[in-house]
Amino acid sequence: MADPRLFRLRVRYAKSGRLALLSHLEVARSLERAVRRAGLPFAVTNGFSPHMRIAFGAALPVGVGGIDEFFDLYLTDYVAPEKALAALAAVSPADLMPHGAAYVEPTAPAASVACPLSAYRVTFDGPIGRALVVPEQVEVVRKKKRKVLAVDDFLVGDIRACEDGCAVEFTLEAKPTGSLRPDVLVEAMVVKTEAGASSGKEQAAGAGGDMRADASAHEATCAPLPAVRSIVRISQK
Amino acid sequence: MIQTDLWPQVQRLARRAERPSRYLGSEWGATRTTDADFSFCMAYPDTYELGQPNQAVRILVNAVAAMEGVAAERAFLPAPDMADAMRDAGVPAFSLESCAPLREFDVVGITLPHELAATNVLELLDLAQIPLRAADRAVDDPIVIGGGPCAMNPEPYAPFFDAISVGEGEESVPELVAAVWAGRAAGESRQQILRRLAQVQSTYVLSLYRVLDADEAQRQSSWVVPLEEGVPPVIVRRVFEGFAESDAWEPCVVPFAEAVHDRLNVEVLRGCARGCRFCQAGMMYRPVRERSVDNIVSAVLRGLDETGYDEVSLTSLSTTDHSQIEEILTRLNRACAGRGVRVSVPSQRLDSFGVQMAELVAGQKKGGLTFAPEAGTQRLRDIINKNVSEEDLFCAIDAAMAAGWRRVKLYFMVGLPGETDDDVKGIASLAQRAYDRMKAATPPDQRGSLAMTVSVALFVPKAQTPFQWDGQISREEALRRVGLLKRSVKYRAVRVSYHDPQTSFVEAVMSRGGRACADLVQAAWEAGARFDAWTELFNEEAWRTAADKVGLVPETIAEATYDTDYVMPWAHISAGVTQEFLAEERQRAQEGLTTQDCTFDACTVCGVCMQTGTRNQLAAPRSMPEGGRERHG
Ligand code: SF4
Repeated sequence: MADPRLFRLRVRYAKSGRLALLSHLEVARSLERAVRRAGLPFAVTNGFSPHMRIAFGAALPVGVGGIDEFFDLYLTDYVAPEKALAALAAVSPADLMPHGAAYVEPTAPAASVACPLSAYRVTFDGPIGRALVVPEQVEVVRKKKRKVLAVDDFLVGDIRACEDGCAVEFTLEAKPTGSLRPDVLVEAMVVKTEAGASSGKEQAAGAGGDMRADASAHEATCAPLPAVRSIVRISQK
Repeated sequence: MIQTDLWPQVQRLARRAERPSRYLGSEWGATRTTDADFSFCMAYPDTYELGQPNQAVRILVNAVAAMEGVAAERAFLPAPDMADAMRDAGVPAFSLESCAPLREFDVVGITLPHELAATNVLELLDLAQIPLRAADRAVDDPIVIGGGPCAMNPEPYAPFFDAISVGEGEESVPELVAAVWAGRAAGESRQQILRRLAQVQSTYVLSLYRVLDADEAQRQSSWVVPLEEGVPPVIVRRVFEGFAESDAWEPCVVPFAEAVHDRLNVEVLRGCARGCRFCQAGMMYRPVRERSVDNIVSAVLRGLDETGYDEVSLTSLSTTDHSQIEEILTRLNRACAGRGVRVSVPSQRLDSFGVQMAELVAGQKKGGLTFAPEAGTQRLRDIINKNVSEEDLFCAIDAAMAAGWRRVKLYFMVGLPGETDDDVKGIASLAQRAYDRMKAATPPDQRGSLAMTVSVALFVPKAQTPFQWDGQISREEALRRVGLLKRSVKYRAVRVSYHDPQTSFVEAVMSRGGRACADLVQAAWEAGARFDAWTELFNEEAWRTAADKVGLVPETIAEATYDTDYVMPWAHISAGVTQEFLAEERQRAQEGLTTQDCTFDACTVCGVCMQTGTRNQLAAPRSMPEGGRERHG
């Protein structure tokens, strides 16, 4: 991939607002079209059906935004980064707006693996009011096959509460063998945390009068969680 | 007036939907007018991926948006999962630009792209919470206008629309919008506004006509007659005369979701006068109007710059017929070199696909090449006026193989009027000999990658064509003929694929049915039919139930054959091509006589130019490449 005659421009952008609902492929296609609209001197691959030489950072799932995403664009001519950025910004949808551009070494690691650590912020519609329960493992379906992932293999550090208890942050590490999607983990944590609540209630209802005091004690901690408003990747390292 | 923003509700549902990008709007190129006094929404009765690339949606939104003070937006039918979720949540169908309920728009246009979209029209109206029948709509409900190819026989859709615009809408749709606006501004009733619409050329306003019974229709030469003075007894299709001179760059939206034909489309010419007797498009887009080379080339380059697409398709019914296609392709190939841009031509004409063309469109090689001989024998090709010979096909194959193609797809129809078993076997024979030719024209070490597909569809009689009087064969007979074809193909490398005759049957019913068919459509939708064009969603049972409920025998509608003096249910609609010409063409078909193309030869008096006050406009005189098209007349 490293061609010394080409200039490797790393463009940083945000995936925000309603466009957080785009898939990785849709984002990639849209960025590529923005590059063409911007009239940048992009390099094309050789061969039967030549296409733009562009490489994207680690994928975000549908519904997950990102404030500092990036892609590497290979140019045949040097363009001052601020000029390239201005040209791109002029032809980008507001919710897929580039905000930085700088050249990187042609030999630097590929964009898709350059930053294995991703920090996410999950914002809820209201205060969560208790610690989220992290499941030991989550089950995912990939290409129609069920797979069980151990959360510990991917989760780095704790789940940190922030924004007056209305949001949490956590960091996931991508492995060469695969990664754990942040939205999947959030869903699993919500289910696990709320399950604590409902099993407590069931117990109370089934066991009769003397359990009632116990049940109401549970209620403060075990009510359904507020809805998830957004999941955003806030940084990548 | 549009005012509600449904986005907060839509967002919640879109998040859980199969493909949220269908519902987001805010694509590059989409424009939103916020300070408009009047509003128009152009709706497509299928999902975003199918509707967004539709030319009518693109052109008409642009045409209305150009009006001062009018907001023009787009809407598509949500996919089944989203539609169900919206019903559960009470969220009505919405536009993309403002995410406003459809029912808040002053005018809603729905294009009718093909016969299998009928139940989707009802699905869309129902989701939009607009009364299904025009007669039930209240003063402040939108005026719902239909149009598109199915306007050639609007009867099965008639009661669901306030008005149907017949023909090309570039000029008529803004006129209709202006008329509604004037009526609304004057505080008029719905009926008064509809009367205004009837004054706009090429508009069919159903409520201003009386429906006759079958006997009276035959006596009066029409199934509907005007109820009042000043309402046209025959509605002649609108032709956009300025097409050739108008800018070939039609601004477009660049979708996020992967759409069908997701590329820049530039319409290079309109109309086709080849005169295939089964083809509705060939009758309803005449006369032929070519845009100039400069117009086309500059539109492509500008379009690529403004959209960022990496592929451009030069669209029309028969692009390689453009008198200057070689110059267009040469200039575009040169201008696009090194940019990673593909220039493609949608369908290849057998008789104009020479060596030079093969090289000019070589960029499409990997997709395979598609030719449409339509019938297996020369006898039947003469009947349908498909003026290509076996030699044309073989020469085209030689040129294609020499230029590096390895995959060929041939389109045929079964059930054409006059077809015999010999014609069916002729398809197999032609395909196999074409395959031999592919082999002979390919170096031995590359023959392993050769592939041929024979794709067969069931003939559907279409309104406003010479074969409109000819019935469709039954589904059992269709399957028998396909079986015969399959048995006749001996080569393993020749694959036969065929389209489900069940949906072709519904197409025939919708194409030929009269007003009674509207009840059938509604009953089918009520029984659960929607997305009939999606093979996996087609609900045969619903259509059966509906037919029983309304007491129609759909087989009669699809399969009956009539004499040319029989008055068909669309006699009050004219594509410009006269009924006399259609009748004569059918007669010539029965005699095995072909009819020439008026863009290469003399006028054959089809009537379009006289009735619409237009003429063919060619960028240069047309001529065939040597060897092609010697036989006609
Ligand atoms: S009227 Fe004559 S010239 Fe015009 S489209 Fe018909 S056949 Fe062609």
